[in-house]
Parts: sequence; C-alpha cells; structure tokens
Amino acid sequence: MSTSDDEMTRAGAPHGTHGPVQKHTAEELRAMTPEERMIAGTEAEDIHIVHRRDRFPIRGTKAEKRAERGVAACFLIAAIAGVAFIVYFCAGSWKWHLPGTAQNFRFYTPILGGLLGALLLFLGVGLVLWAKWLMPEEEVVQERHDFDTTEEDKLMTEATLSVGLADTGLPRRGLILKSLGLAGGALVTVPLVALVGGMIKKPGDQLFHTMFRPNKKMFPKSNGMVPIVFSDWRQVSPDDMEPGAIVTVFPGVRAVDANGFDGLTSASSPTIIIRLRPGQKVSYRKGQAGFAWPPSDPQYIAFSKICTHAGCPASLYEQQTGRLLCPCHQSQFDVLQDAKPVFGPATRSLPQLPLTVLTGEDGRQYFYAKNDYPEAIGPGFWERP
Amino acid sequence: MTEEPSETTADLDAELGFEPVVASSGAGDASSAPSVRPSRRRRRGLVRRKLGAFGVLLCALTAVGGTYAAFAASSGAAQSTDTAASVTHGRQLFDMSCITCHGANLQGVKGRGPSLVSVGGAAAYFQVITGRMPLAQQGAYSPRKTPKFSDQETRDIAAYVQSVGGGPSIPSGMVRGDDASIAEGGALYRLNCASCHGTTFKGAPLSAGKQAPSLNAASDLQIYTAMLSGPESMPVFSNNQLTPTQKKAIIAYIQNIKASDDPGGAGIDRIGPVSEAIVLWVVGVGVLMVVILWIGARSQ
Amino acid sequence: MTATTNPPRRDNKPRTPQGKAAGWFDERLRLAGPMRTQLNKVFPDHWSFMMGEIALYSFVILLLTGTYLTFFFDPSMAETTYHGSYVPMQGIQMSQAYASTLDIAFDVRGGLIIRQIHHWAALLFVAAMLVHMFRVFFTGAFRKPRELNWIIGLNLIMLGIIEGFAGYSLPDDLLSGTGLRIADAIMKSIPVIGSWVSFTVFGGPFPGHVIIGRLYIAHVLLIPGILLALIGAHLALVVRQKHTQFPGPGRTEDTVAGERVFPIYAAKAGGFFFIVFAACAALGGLVQINPVWLFGPYQPSAVSSGSQPDWYMMFLDGSTRLFPSWEIRLWGHTLPPLFWPTVVLPGILVTLAAVYPFIEAKMTKDTLKHHLLQRPRDVPVRTSLGCMAITFYLVLFFSGGNDLIAKTFDISLNAMTWGGRILLLTLPPIAYAVAYRVCLGLQRHDREVLEHGLETGIIKVLPTGEFIEVHQPLGPVDEHGHGQLTYAGAPVPKRMGQLGAASPVKHIRGFFYPVKEKPEIQAAIDEQEAREAAALEPDPSGSVENRTRELTD
Repeated sequence: MSTSDDEMTRAGAPHGTHGPVQKHTAEELRAMTPEERMIAGTEAEDIHIVHRRDRFPIRGTKAEKRAERGVAACFLIAAIAGVAFIVYFCAGSWKWHLPGTAQNFRFYTPILGGLLGALLLFLGVGLVLWAKWLMPEEEVVQERHDFDTTEEDKLMTEATLSVGLADTGLPRRGLILKSLGLAGGALVTVPLVALVGGMIKKPGDQLFHTMFRPNKKMFPKSNGMVPIVFSDWRQVSPDDMEPGAIVTVFPGVRAVDANGFDGLTSASSPTIIIRLRPGQKVSYRKGQAGFAWPPSDPQYIAFSKICTHAGCPASLYEQQTGRLLCPCHQSQFDVLQDAKPVFGPATRSLPQLPLTVLTGEDGRQYFYAKNDYPEAIGPGFWERP
Repeated sequence: MTEEPSETTADLDAELGFEPVVASSGAGDASSAPSVRPSRRRRRGLVRRKLGAFGVLLCALTAVGGTYAAFAASSGAAQSTDTAASVTHGRQLFDMSCITCHGANLQGVKGRGPSLVSVGGAAAYFQVITGRMPLAQQGAYSPRKTPKFSDQETRDIAAYVQSVGGGPSIPSGMVRGDDASIAEGGALYRLNCASCHGTTFKGAPLSAGKQAPSLNAASDLQIYTAMLSGPESMPVFSNNQLTPTQKKAIIAYIQNIKASDDPGGAGIDRIGPVSEAIVLWVVGVGVLMVVILWIGARSQ
Repeated sequence: MTATTNPPRRDNKPRTPQGKAAGWFDERLRLAGPMRTQLNKVFPDHWSFMMGEIALYSFVILLLTGTYLTFFFDPSMAETTYHGSYVPMQGIQMSQAYASTLDIAFDVRGGLIIRQIHHWAALLFVAAMLVHMFRVFFTGAFRKPRELNWIIGLNLIMLGIIEGFAGYSLPDDLLSGTGLRIADAIMKSIPVIGSWVSFTVFGGPFPGHVIIGRLYIAHVLLIPGILLALIGAHLALVVRQKHTQFPGPGRTEDTVAGERVFPIYAAKAGGFFFIVFAACAALGGLVQINPVWLFGPYQPSAVSSGSQPDWYMMFLDGSTRLFPSWEIRLWGHTLPPLFWPTVVLPGILVTLAAVYPFIEAKMTKDTLKHHLLQRPRDVPVRTSLGCMAITFYLVLFFSGGNDLIAKTFDISLNAMTWGGRILLLTLPPIAYAVAYRVCLGLQRHDREVLEHGLETGIIKVLPTGEFIEVHQPLGPVDEHGHGQLTYAGAPVPKRMGQLGAASPVKHIRGFFYPVKEKPEIQAAIDEQEAREAAALEPDPSGSVENRTRELTD
C-alpha cells in the first residue's frame, strides 16, 4: 500500500476518487506505520489528506537547522523577556511622586508592558513559525455530512413525542393542563416579583422637589428660606460676584435627607448664580417675574445646573453672550432669555430658582432661595407635565 | 527693573524643582515663559518703590492728564504698585499699538474695540502677554499668539490701563500655592474650571466658533489674571468668589498635573476615549489584521 | 513499506508513560474515538476567519486580568478620605470604589498595567466582535443554516457593550459618573415606567448608594456568565455546522478544506492567542488608558468638557447630539427627546440586524443551505446595504466626538452638529450607490477576464490599421476566441502571472499536479527511499526495528 498512498500523499489526488470508507481491522492497523494508522483514522471519518508533504524530506539539512534555530530563538527570547519582567517587577522604582523629583515611576508600567509583550509575542510568533516552517505542509478535505434528518428519523421522533404526550394524557385532561399552567406561571412570577419587588423604589414626588424647598424647622430665622452656599459651605453674598461671574452653589442644608445626601452631595441641588454684565437685560418666563435679584433691575439670576436634556451639569458659560453650554451633547441655553434652549437637542429651559437677599448677622447681604424650583429639574420623564 | 526676567524665572523654577513647563510645552511661545511670576528681588524693589508711589503717581497722572485722572488717583492710591515711568512708557506703547481700536483715552472705538476704562491691569496683562492683543483680526475667538511685547513692556501697558479707572490689578508675589494645596486646588478646579477647560486642560469649543483655550501654555500669572479679569467668554472669578488662596491652589494643581509624567505609558495627549479609540483601531486592530494576514498566508 | 514487512504487534497494551496515561483515561471516559474526531477536525484557513478568534482571545484575557482586579477593587460607594500615594488627591472625599481604583494604580505594584491591559482588551473585545460581524455579513455566512449563530453573535455584541459600560462605570470617577447620569436620564425617558425604572436601578434618586455594587456584580458575574454560555453555544454551533469557506478547488458545499486541528491549526491558533495577548499587554504597558486619577471622583455638580464614552458607546452619544429637540407633550405627560436616539434607534438597529438573514432569504426566495461564502462583489445589494449601514454608524460615531473635532480643526460646534445631521441623511444613500457601482464594475471585470483573457500589454496593428491588445485566454476558447470558463465565485486572476483561485501555492499545493522538488533534493529523496526499501526487504528482525521506529516517530 505504500506506493499508492505515497503517491496520494505526496503528489496529491483529485478529490472524489475515494471509494467508500474502508474499515480496517485492528490486526491490519497494527501492521501499519503510525502515519498510515493516522491516515486510516482520518479516512474513517471521511477526512481526506489530499496533500501532505514533509517540509524537510531530508533530515538535518542546513535549511532545516536554520528553521529550527529560528523557532528556538523565539522561545529563548520569550524566556529572557520573562526573566527580565520578574527582575524589573521586583526591582523597578514605581512609586508616584510630585513633579520636581526624578519621576522614575514613569518607566515602570511601559517597561513591564514591553517585557510582558515581548514574552507573549515571541512565544506566539515561535509557535506560528514552528507550524509554518517545521510541521508538514498539509491540505485536508473533510466531508461535511450535512444531511437532512432522514424521513425515518423524523417519523420515529415525531411518534415518540406525540405518543409520550398522549401517555401523559394532557390533551384530554384539561383540568391538569390548566392548573399546571397556573402553577408554572406562579413559579416564574414569584422569583421575579421577589427580586424586582425588593428593588423597586417609588419615585413619588421626589423628582419634583429639591433641597431648596423651604423648611421652617431647619431655617426659622429666614422664615424657612434655604440659604445658598458655596461648595465650602460659605454663604453666597451678592458682593462675592463681579459682573460676568458664574458660581456653582448649593442649598445650605447640612442634614442628610432620607436618601443619605446633604445639600452639597444631592444630585438635584447644583445650581448656578450668574451675575450679568452691565447692559445685559433678562426676560422672565410667564409667572416667574421677580425670580432674579434685585427684581426691579435684575443683576443676579439663578438656574438649575442640571441640563434638561440628559442631566449633565450645563456650565460652560460665555459671559459676553450670556450663553450656557452643556458639554455632553452641546445644548445651548440663552441665559438672557430665561435660559431657553437655542441650539442642540435640549427642549426645555433650565428651571429658574427664585432668589432673594437677607442681611446676615455680620451686616452683609446673603442669597436665599425664596422658594423651591417651580418645576422639576433635570431631564424629562413621563410624569412631568 | 533692569533684571533679565527669563533668568529669574529659571532660577525660581530650579529652586522649586519645577521644570520650565510653560517654556517647553508652549509651541512658539517661549517668550511668554518669563512672565511666570516676579522674582523676590524685584518684589523687594516693588515694596521700596511703593513708599513714594503715591506722590509720584499723582505727578504722573497730572502729566497724563485727561478726565480720568481722578479715578486713577483713587485706585492708584489703593494699589500703588505702578510707577510714573512705567505708566508713561505704557502709554507710549499703547499709543503706538492699541490706540486704533481702543481710543486715545481707552474709551474704545465703536465697531473696533471695547472701552478699557476700569478693566484693570490684570486684564491688559493677560491679553497682551498671551499675544491675543494686539488683535490680528476680528473673529469669534482670538487665539494665543507669540506676544508682541516683552514682559516688562506688557507690565507697563498694564500699569497704564490700571491707571485709568482702576480695576483688578496684577497680583504681586507668588501666585502658585504650595504642594499641600494641590488637592484642594484640584477639587476647586473640577467644580469651577473643568466644565470648560476640561479635567486635563485641553479646552473646549463653545458656541459658534468661540473656544475655551487649552491651558497647556498658560503660566501661573496668566491663569491668575485670567481668573481675575474674565477675558472674552470666560466668566470673572473675583477674589470674594475664589479667594486668592484658592486661586493659588488651583494654579498649583494645574501646573503640577501639567508637569507630572504619565505613570501608565504614553499619555496620548490625555484626551481620553477619543484618542484611545484611535489607538485601538489604528494600532491594535491594525496590527492584528496584519498578523492574521501573515498567519493565514500559505508558506512556501 | 508493506503489511508483510510490518509484523503485527503481539498485544495492545500501551508501553510508554503517555500511552499508559491515555489508556487510564480511555478506560474510564471512553475518549479514543471522540477525541480523534476532534483532533482531526478540519478548519478552513482563510485569514478573515481569524477575526472572531481575536474576540475569543480578548475575552480570555479579560477573564484573567479581571479576576486579578477583583482582589483589589472595592465596589462600595461609602465616603472615604484618600490617603494614598497620589498627592493631588490626598485629603479629598471620594467613594471607596474610586479610592481603591487609585490604589490599584498607585499602591499596588504592577496593578496599573493589569488594569490597563484589562481596559484595552475590553476595547479590543468589542472591536473584534464588530469586525467579525462585518466579515460574516459581507460574505453571507449568516445564511441558512447559520441564522441562529448570527443572532447569538448579535447578542454577544450587545452584551459585550453593556459589560463594557458597566465595567468602565465602576471606578466612580467624574467621566464615568457623567456617563451614569446620562444612563439615568435615558432610563427616565422611557414612557410610563421611566422614573420607576431609574429609581429601581439606582435604589432611589440618582446616584443613590447602591449602583456601583450592582454594576459590579453584573460586571463580574451576571454578564460574564451569560457571555461565557453564549460563547460556548456560538462555538458549539460552529463545530456542529462546520465552518464556512470560500469556493475553490476542493472546496464545495459538501466539504471543508483546510488544516486539521492537531497539530498545525492548534499551533497556529495557540500562537495567535499569545500574539493577541502580547498586543493587549504592549498597549496596556505603553499607552495610558482611562487615567481616572486625572478625572477626579464623581460629584453631581462637576463635569469636564470633552466628556466621551468608550468607543463602542460613542455612536449613541453621537445620535444623542445630532437628534433635534423634539419633545412630545400630551395630556400632562412628556416623551423626552432623549428617548428616540438612545432607546428607539439602537432598538431599530439591533432588530434590523437580527431579522436581516430572514428578510434576505425571503426577498431572494432562497431556502437552500449554504456552506460556501460569497464574495461581496457578487451580492451587490447586500454589500451596498452593509456599506450604507456602516456609513450611518460612522457618522454617528464621529459625531460622538464632534466637540473634539471642532476644537482640533477650529470648526464651529454648531456647524459640526448641523454637518452631522445633514451627513447622517445624505451619506448612507451615497455610500449605497457607490458600493453598488463598485461591485458591478468588479463583477464585469471578472467576467471580461474569463471571456477574453488577461491583458498582455502587447498591442498589435491589424492590416486594416486597427490597434488591438492581445489577450491571454485563461482556458480553452470557442471558435470566436471566447473563453469557456464560467465564474465560480472564486477570485479570478487579473494580471499576467497571477493564478487566482487556481493558484496551487495560494490554495492547494500539489492538488492539481505533483510538487516538483529541487533536482538535488529529489535525487536525495529517491536515494533515501531506495535505501529504506533495500533495508526492509530481507528483514528477519523487522518487528524490533519497527517498534523502535514507531516510538521515535
């Protein structure tokens, strides 16, 4: 068989000349060389090695040694990179320092990455080269055997299913079927309800209020009006701002609410106060006259910082044009026109906070929120009118 | 004021252990570097000069004349950091380069340039030292350019502008906080500045072609005077809103982060996901496509 | 070597240690048969079939590096004051999650590189899946019987994106927190149940105290578990249905031609795994990714300009930026504008992709099974639809970074937004038309070469004074000099010297004719064979020699 098979493996044979799969006995297989047995194994599964050629038919040629050395060199470099990685990992200087020092930490991660990359790269390239240079060249064709299920199989399986179903009697016993359906439904629903039910929180009217809501118990001196503070709890005074200034302010509520947030950390409270430049005139929305301060000649105007589109803090303020941009989706609001959206995807004006000023114990004037925002702040939602 | 400013800045940087960030990162902007902050020697000089400043200033203003003398005297009395010579020189420079747009008495020229009365020296200093003024052309946004005037000339112009109507003046002394203030400065930066200039100081586009510039090339004093004066679109951050200590902390944060090296390899300009996406598709996916072509190719 | 010269072995007991071990397992698990089937399985070896492998390998890398990160990361939103090595954050209030992320970067030796490898591998994972999907689409590999695997793959991409979003939200930094806040707004925009969904997910009003913990368990257990199961099913279907292949000699609907799994394909695939890992490791070490220490901890009042999500979410960011400000207000209710570009649009895109195989089969009335791939040019409508979809996606993708483009190239932001809106509607149809033309042109050229032959570059002057170029026919010609080859869906040579699908080197070496070795090597082979034959002929002790041979082979 050697001649014919050698012919086949070395010279290749056109596809389709293989007869029916030849079954070999164990005796016959034992009599074969390993390669023949391997080929017999493939043939048994309709896999035909149509071309198989040793890349170096003569052992020990210069070319073969060169290829072998090339692959080995790859693995060797990988090993060296690995050792270097371990050494540098243990010995390298890696702690962060302020500028002004040698900043040697900046080499640590790149060198580790380079060495780890080299280890893996040369390992991988070595493996591929091994396959490409040294392993036999092979072209194998496997029969797909993508036959449709036989008619007999279909008939028998269909019968197995239908008779099995008939055996249970379900088609006849409607009572069992219906009650089982109910039980199954309960089985699916119970964990769903238990899981989701444990997580559900009722929004209630929480989306319609912020911490600027007047609270007489907390702020009796100001008749419940919430003081407005900087991020360091200093109260904001009109004097603190020059014309053309913008400042991020918060309700001065130090006590945490039911959700565990105080005035600075609550996501609904960030607010901006803008002091207009001389000559900038504002228009009020209907029903919101006098929200700015002083009401007669408005100079200070306060809006929610939370964009009505997607909730990013909209705070890129152009003091000359009075435009306010949101950095996330580039909605633009015109502060002088009641912060109404003039460009981009936002649809609603930024809610305006009614401002007022009280004189503090030190004789300075300080900002207070006359009332909560007249509408829900932030992005829109279904319940919002 | 005969010292060479660049020398003193370099000395100070060496003393603090900072590399000259501004000079190295500002492309073609080396001449703005010397403006980081006045030296100690010069500060002592300034103190000495302060003593006689009031009288000298009055004389100078009489010489300058005009209807704004009264304003200038009052603000000059308060700040009193200018000298007569400085103001005179500043006025000469102003008359040569700025007068066409801002008018002979800083009252502005309609359709060309705004009034500079009482904008303060800080505003003038920032605009001139960053090369934005004199303006090359009218536009939505005037970008940073190579400054036309030296640091001393700029200070002279600022002194002149300051002398007409007062306003926020150039701060004296160190305007960068110490290392202990960096973290606080970072928190303030993120709340007040990052919305426009970005957490990594890259700047951002504003509406219709206006821009918040990158802070890469900005020196300590430039950042400080910008906060004080609110140039172009930028809001004003007065000393009541952000105290001088807070401003210095913000500057300490900005300059330290700019000068610090990236611990995780190439910073790809610290832009974030966009530059990461470019690296991923061009380098990562690109290289692996070449690799699969190589593995998939039949070898001879 | 013949059967007679190779006396049978006396028993079937294994003699080598490996043989004994194999025997031990085989007696218990009956492995020999099924294992041989798998070892001999044939994989086609076209380069484009390796794109899916990149995704698979990056998933393995993600599992490895992600497990490492869980040892150090603390998914808690409890407030803490930072006292680690990174000076610019010392004394700042932040969540445990953010503080432990800083610790991984600055106080765990080698922690930063693992975190960066993890992040790069995540970007690569989704990218490779997408590229793989394009390959499957443009070659028609999704057709019957593989529609199921197409849908599984689509689910893998969606889950991969969600997994990535959950992952990069975990550090609780300013950038990802802004992303979470937008996610909250997207949930709220859902009609009727929106605010309930948001409150349920966040455990109260945004940001609550539970979201990081919930995202964490989704990121490390829930979604990876589903991904793993789906990847298993995806691969199992490839094994069961066998891989598709391009048509060519020996490659028909009934066959798979390529290399067997063991050893060549295994060596190449194993090597490729290490190369993919090397790419991630090199990127992770050499290129900084997501430097959260520069962004600061999340606080609802702060934001950074130039906030973008990771690349696979950028198309949604783009669609949100481009969508006009249309809001529906009815009967005291609001349908926010955010709902359309972030919920409806991705829903439509995914649905279209999921039903495409069925639509195409219905339109082309194709009920057959297909195991041979198509060249994109041969199915111009599908190819053009694909180009159209990619163009649409790319416009959205680039709009996701339109503020950076505006800043870098000094373009007005408003102009960028309007430009994006216009391009989104005009570019895809143009892409369709152009792709269609290109496909037809390529098809025509293929047919022309088959009919008239290759251009030789030789110009002849006929006696009539007419100039013609001499063509080299590819095969036999009829009486009119026209080629009789028909197009078979395989590459056609386009230049002299090219062999196209018939190339024995490119496709099946030695398939059509014997491989010629160099004369001296051929002589040596002949000599060696003669020697072997001579040595084996009168061999009384053949069994011993053969046994040694067998062991050394």
